[in-house]
Amino acid sequence: MSEETPVIEVTDLVREFNGRRVLNGLSFKVMKGDTMIIMGGSGCGKSTLLRHIIGAMKPTSGSVKLFGEEITGMKEEELAHVRRRFGMLFQSGALLQSLTVGENVALPIIEHGKLDPSIVDLMVKMKLEMVGLTGFENLKPAEISGGMKKRVGLARALALDPELLFSDEPTAGLDPIMVSVVDILTQEMTRKLGVTAVVVTHDMTSAFRIGTRMIMLGTGPNQGKLIAEGTPDEIRASTNGEVKQFINGEPDGPVPLRLSKGDYVERLLGQPGGRKSYSV
Amino acid sequence: MKEYFVLNGQILYWTLIAPFRGQPFKIGEVFHQMILIGTRALPMAALMSFSIGLTMAMQGANALKSMGGTSFVPYLVTLSILRELGPLIVGVIVIGRSGSSVTAELGTMKVSEEIEALQVMAINPVRFLIVPRVLAMMIMLPVLTVFGDCVGMVGGWSISHYALDFTTPAYIFNSLTRAEPWDLYSGLVKSVVFAWLIITIACHMGMGVEGGAEGVGQATTSSVVWSLLILLITNALMTAIFFFA
Repeated sequence: MSEETPVIEVTDLVREFNGRRVLNGLSFKVMKGDTMIIMGGSGCGKSTLLRHIIGAMKPTSGSVKLFGEEITGMKEEELAHVRRRFGMLFQSGALLQSLTVGENVALPIIEHGKLDPSIVDLMVKMKLEMVGLTGFENLKPAEISGGMKKRVGLARALALDPELLFSDEPTAGLDPIMVSVVDILTQEMTRKLGVTAVVVTHDMTSAFRIGTRMIMLGTGPNQGKLIAEGTPDEIRASTNGEVKQFINGEPDGPVPLRLSKGDYVERLLGQPGGRKSYSV
Repeated sequence: MKEYFVLNGQILYWTLIAPFRGQPFKIGEVFHQMILIGTRALPMAALMSFSIGLTMAMQGANALKSMGGTSFVPYLVTLSILRELGPLIVGVIVIGRSGSSVTAELGTMKVSEEIEALQVMAINPVRFLIVPRVLAMMIMLPVLTVFGDCVGMVGGWSISHYALDFTTPAYIFNSLTRAEPWDLYSGLVKSVVFAWLIITIACHMGMGVEGGAEGVGQATTSSVVWSLLILLITNALMTAIFFFA
């Protein structure tokens, strides 16, 4: 792969759910070594976008290329080949509840390589050490805290030394210290090992700390469209009202806090057919 | 419906073809599932089969007494258990306790993103989760059926011995001289077919779960209801085939 080939290339990605456009003509590239932050308000399609990039969902139209290969039309077998080159950290950690912490981290190592058990054990210990969880190998996921689960998830995502790391809200629900730890781990991966990272987040502190490129998806009338793209400095200097509102966390702005009075009354009393009778 | 048949195809591929292409399933997990699906169902299967053997003997004795044919009670019990009630009762027990738990487990894994995590790690969920469960069920249901047959015959013996004055050797002699190997085999053929149906329906329902805890509950209910329905229909069809063939 030449230096110029983007690690991820998304072109005109459209996804509709029952006629509702969740992703609306997205195009962007992620180059090697970048930490791309995908941000946007709740329901803007961030997680949906991520699921399209990892091949878990198929787009209505458009193309997704990973490492220069088109994945939208791929069969499960070919996709499995591409998937060995990236790791993913899920929002909830998504650890297998039936396995211990150590077995969870060992799983991808055992499944994709024929290594001696002593080497697998060593690798598991190294990965857990890296996320600061030495000595927790024998606990079940149900016995550790949410933050620890996420760190185990990260250790598992990094188990095969991937070229590309996806993180779905890696810092949601963590305390501020743990947020920095996860951020620093991600930074170490990208800076020291040249891993490319794609991080979905709406934690602005963490986004500006680790991001080298950022994109923002719109909500409301701009649902599923790219409303801003650039380096963290460019995003900070953005004149787009919705972007400004989002990164400053203001309650009112282009995304309205409340509807105007006329809209409000109309929606409340609305069309008779639109009324619903509740019975609980 | 289409997805169910696709799943069947995938199970066959990952069981019969993929292991020869360097993608084996986990043998250890098969044994683990055999314990969960099969061994743990032993006490209930035993209790149910015993009480069915008991009931059959009492009802049979009642009906046959009027014709002076109580000597046919052991034969009646053995035949009905081997051919019909053994596989059926054990199937029903396994649907209720193992099929439902497989659906609930896979469904919970689906809603907590565990299945998706496996896919992203390029680990095929059919190979990793489903094939061991299918094999465990295919092995353990016939085993449980043979066990249930034996316990059911003991149930028949207890009535025959204590209420109908059969000696133990007479009971055994009466049961086994008239029963033929084919009576046992036809029951086992049934149990193999039941095993496939129960586990594929359970896995299909589990993998199809959507929408959190409520979805898991609904899937578990439909898994049990559909399995029972299809089990009874298949049983009738297979008995008809054996009867007319």
